[in-house]
Amino acid sequence: MQMVKNILLVLLVSWLAIIVFMPKQALYYKMEETLATQEVVLNETSIEEGLFSLTLHQVTVYVKGIPVATVEEVKFFTLLFFSRLSVDTLLLDDSLKKMLPTKLNHAEITHSVASALNVIVHAQGSFDALEGNIDLGTSSVRLDFNESKNIEVLKSQLKKDEKGWYYETSF
Amino acid sequence: MKHLFSLKRLKNLWLLAIVLLCVKLVWFVIAFLWLPVSGVDYMVEKERKPLYYRVKLNPNKAPPPKKQTKKTVKRVVSGSIKDIILLGIYNASDMTVITVEHKKKTKVLSKGDEINGFTLDSAGSNFAIFTKATKSYKVKLFTKKRKNSKSTGTIKEVASPVKETKSSKPEGEIVDVGDHKIIDRTLLDHYGENVENVYKDIGIKDIKNGKDLKGFSISFIRRGSPFAKLGLKRGDVISSINGQKIDSYNAAFGIYKNIKDIENLSLVIKRGEEEMELEYEVN
Repeated sequence: MQMVKNILLVLLVSWLAIIVFMPKQALYYKMEETLATQEVVLNETSIEEGLFSLTLHQVTVYVKGIPVATVEEVKFFTLLFFSRLSVDTLLLDDSLKKMLPTKLNHAEITHSVASALNVIVHAQGSFDALEGNIDLGTSSVRLDFNESKNIEVLKSQLKKDEKGWYYETSF
Repeated sequence: MKHLFSLKRLKNLWLLAIVLLCVKLVWFVIAFLWLPVSGVDYMVEKERKPLYYRVKLNPNKAPPPKKQTKKTVKRVVSGSIKDIILLGIYNASDMTVITVEHKKKTKVLSKGDEINGFTLDSAGSNFAIFTKATKSYKVKLFTKKRKNSKSTGTIKEVASPVKETKSSKPEGEIVDVGDHKIIDRTLLDHYGENVENVYKDIGIKDIKNGKDLKGFSISFIRRGSPFAKLGLKRGDVISSINGQKIDSYNAAFGIYKNIKDIENLSLVIKRGEEEMELEYEVN
């Protein structure tokens, strides 16, 4: 019993140490490097590293050098078995208003080991609300706009079934 | 005290400290070997001033002295273009007839006829082009409904206001007046509002030299589209717009975003080995 206790303690400490000692900022820089190869650059005014999280403030998103969006706050939180990416106040450039809703108040992307191949998406914005999921098994994305009302600009990219309007793509 | 420093407890603490140290060491090695120490930041370009900006397109050439004398005489006789009100247009392939009001009198003019010192040159669907000396003047169709106006024959009656529909068909025309072309501002407004229509009418491909962007080449132009009327051709490389070098997506997008506010448009393109400058007036 004592042995089991010790093993559990070591596992718990290891798990805590992995998260706490994780070089979150450096990992974020690595992600920036990867995005840069796709000509996507994130410019942030400050980065805040917490024990379990990394927060970016005032992020400007550049795609091929064009500033397409600004985000008030992006927060990445992880416990390894549960991770969440939350985005607050995303404003798209006005030039995209004909194609996409320009304001996203809050969005959350969550992943849990309980459903390892499924990433849940939830967002609220000028389109009201959307729910969706990313299936890592089939590499597909489905976003449901069932509760949404102001989706006129998006309708050209949406499909409709008995549940309502939805967006579907694969990667 | 004896309990606190028991050997077993110390052993456990040592074990935990070693675990912490190992994890820290692993992360340190990963960070040292594979992770960058700084992020990728986009250097925001400060607004560059164009090399030059043509404010007035016409007259490009100074008129010969003789004509200048004539011009002075004409000025005394003729009035302003604003005195001419365009009431109706009949535009066929072989003839152009318009109805104008000048000094409260209605007159019918055909191509080449003169009124108030201005000669009728051409007409579009909702405007007429007059010339005087080397200058061109565009008069838009009078849109206010007039009382007791009668429509006769094929001459159009004063048209209803231009509909601000969200149609995908661009409104406005490009008129060739000889030495340059005139772009209807509504056309620019339309493309400024409907970016998806730009992609339908013209395909633009970037030209890169390694990582550096050299310019944008035209991969296709829809036949009969306003872009084709501008004189652009497939394979042309656009190197500058209104004196600003187009060497980044941001530069190109910046011009697109401000397209509604431009007064004139000047494109420097490379067609084969030849470099050309295309000039347009926005009216």
